[in-house]
Amino acid sequence: MLQFDRVKLPESSEAVRAEVREFLAEAAEHLERPNSDFTTGHDPAFSRKLGARGWIGMTWPERYGGAGRSFFDRYVVTEELLAAGAPVSAHWIADRQSGNLILRYGTEAQRQHYLPPITRGESYFSIGMSEPNSGSDLASVRTSARQVEGGWLINGTKLWSTDAHRNHFMIALVRTAPVSENRHAGLSQIIVDLKNDGAQIRPIRNIAGAEDFNEVVFEDVLVPEDRVVGEPGNGWEQVTSELAYERSGPERFLSSFRVFVELVRAAGDRPEPQLAAAIGRIGAHLMTLRRMSISVAGMLDQGKSPNVEAALVKALGNDFEKLLPEIARLALMDLPEDDPRQRSFRQAFTDTLLLSPAFTIRGGTREILRGVIARGLGLR
Amino acid sequence: MDDHDTLLTDAAARIFGDLCDKALLDAAEQGEFPAALWQTLRENGFHELGLADSGVSLAQAFAVIRLGGRHAVPLPLAEIVLANRWLGDGERLASVGRVVGDRVVDVPWGRSAELVLGLEAGRSGCVLVTPEPDAVARGCNMAGEPRDAVAIPAEAAAIALTEPAFEYLTLGRIAAMAGCLERVLELCLDYVNEREQFGRPIARFQAIQHSLAIAAGEVAAASRAADAAVDALDDARFELEVAAAKARVGEAAGVVAEIAHQVHGAMGFTHEHQLHHFTRRAWAWRDEYGNEAHWQRRLGRHLAALGPDRLWSFLATRG
Repeated sequence: MLQFDRVKLPESSEAVRAEVREFLAEAAEHLERPNSDFTTGHDPAFSRKLGARGWIGMTWPERYGGAGRSFFDRYVVTEELLAAGAPVSAHWIADRQSGNLILRYGTEAQRQHYLPPITRGESYFSIGMSEPNSGSDLASVRTSARQVEGGWLINGTKLWSTDAHRNHFMIALVRTAPVSENRHAGLSQIIVDLKNDGAQIRPIRNIAGAEDFNEVVFEDVLVPEDRVVGEPGNGWEQVTSELAYERSGPERFLSSFRVFVELVRAAGDRPEPQLAAAIGRIGAHLMTLRRMSISVAGMLDQGKSPNVEAALVKALGNDFEKLLPEIARLALMDLPEDDPRQRSFRQAFTDTLLLSPAFTIRGGTREILRGVIARGLGLR
Repeated sequence: MDDHDTLLTDAAARIFGDLCDKALLDAAEQGEFPAALWQTLRENGFHELGLADSGVSLAQAFAVIRLGGRHAVPLPLAEIVLANRWLGDGERLASVGRVVGDRVVDVPWGRSAELVLGLEAGRSGCVLVTPEPDAVARGCNMAGEPRDAVAIPAEAAAIALTEPAFEYLTLGRIAAMAGCLERVLELCLDYVNEREQFGRPIARFQAIQHSLAIAAGEVAAASRAADAAVDALDDARFELEVAAAKARVGEAAGVVAEIAHQVHGAMGFTHEHQLHHFTRRAWAWRDEYGNEAHWQRRLGRHLAALGPDRLWSFLATRG
């Protein structure tokens, strides 16, 4: 049976919360987005301000620009930013996973080179995992890197790389040895300089009309020797090692939070019973999801690897992120169309709904997650 | 949980596991009071749970109530614990209902109770009744658990309660539901690993795996929500935590019971199978002490009154 321990955030993390709220109160010009989605809202000026406060890479050692803070402190910072609808996408992946990967598997030289600019909010990373023929079946990636005189020669195509056209680096999962019986062997992670290495980057328009994700094509792209992260061939272990961090955070259930805020604004302070029930239903779900997410944070803090629990939080959270706008939409049906509160609600609703198909796809589809949970239950 | 706490829950789990078998549950549903079970619980001191000098915290008493849900214990454990707490009398079997007109209704095992506490609408007033056998009208909920109506005699004593009685009783159902749903999931896991179709255990089919992954998510959510409400016993926002938990656990109960019956197929639809003792309780308990809509409204009114700018602060609590 899966266990979600009763974890209470430490008192010290509440001090950080107060600081973040104070900071956000003075950053109003950055808070005009109608959604809480972590992949939209690329705002380098905002990221640099966060970096100046020490809130990027904050769990990393101080010698790499980090703040040596606890995982709970980072949790509080990220949830406050998302709840406020802050534009976090520029530094998000670097902060959440690329930097952690380099810290854990990278060389000392790589740490010193890449981590400090990330913590300053100046250096942004994209994910390079999916390909045209490799989505959920990640081990089937075909992009290759061949060791040659002067480095690694990369060929292939990466897909759905969010902000690759804006960010500085991608960590690409590539095949460095031919496919063998163990399909998880022979994979490696290589840092690509998106501005200088010669990869062709083409934005792909999504259903919201935005160009956030990209196709990144490598045709004999040569990168220097020192860009491999970790041991060549160890890529699979490396990409799966951080899954619990990637899957259990507040971004997995707060993406549609601004819709809830606008619902409560539109409802006024004395809603009729049906509307009050819709608000309470959403509130009850969010309170529970957040506690489950913090339970996983607690397990991570204790050095455990709660991969199944993290998959469960993501699956449950993503489904709820999608349900929230639907509950809200029907609950507000009696508010006249021309009421200004209806307009601000509609803006948040439309914006979020158009992003919502991604919620249950990115970072592990609902179907993959259910498979992970089923394995944890002993069903496969 | 310290050693003392573990001793208590281990003892409860052992007694419930040994005595609450299918035969006992069937007999209780026929109206037969589980006297041997109650006697064993008395011999082990469980009849004193809730008393100030029992040495057991209220949170621990709720842990026992949760185990009771896990084993479908056919006794009103929450009502016994809380009546003990409010009346300070652990010797007589007590139960609790609510006053409607000149009766106390929805009294679990009112027919067997030696004391019945009737809560009046609002929270501070209640009456204490010593039921006469011929003044009890028998009824039951959809799980076949006795829910009786007890006439209030003219000389019934009035009592003032200082605690949020309705919310405490609700927490009893929340805890029992969390335990019950965990058991339902376990029954499902056992069944799909044993049952074979098309030459293999049905657990191997992706459709079954995904249904149970959904159920596991709901059970985990119910469990975490119930823990949070118990943890809030001494908190100023206790009533709102109860609201969130009853609403969430109630939603989970509907989903989990539905999936459980689907994966059990026709077997689980038979009275002979034990599944229904748990799923019918989960269904019935959703509606006792306020259903999801009731508690969603209470929480929703509070959140609406806070307004859009203070909403997040309420949700982002420490505990």
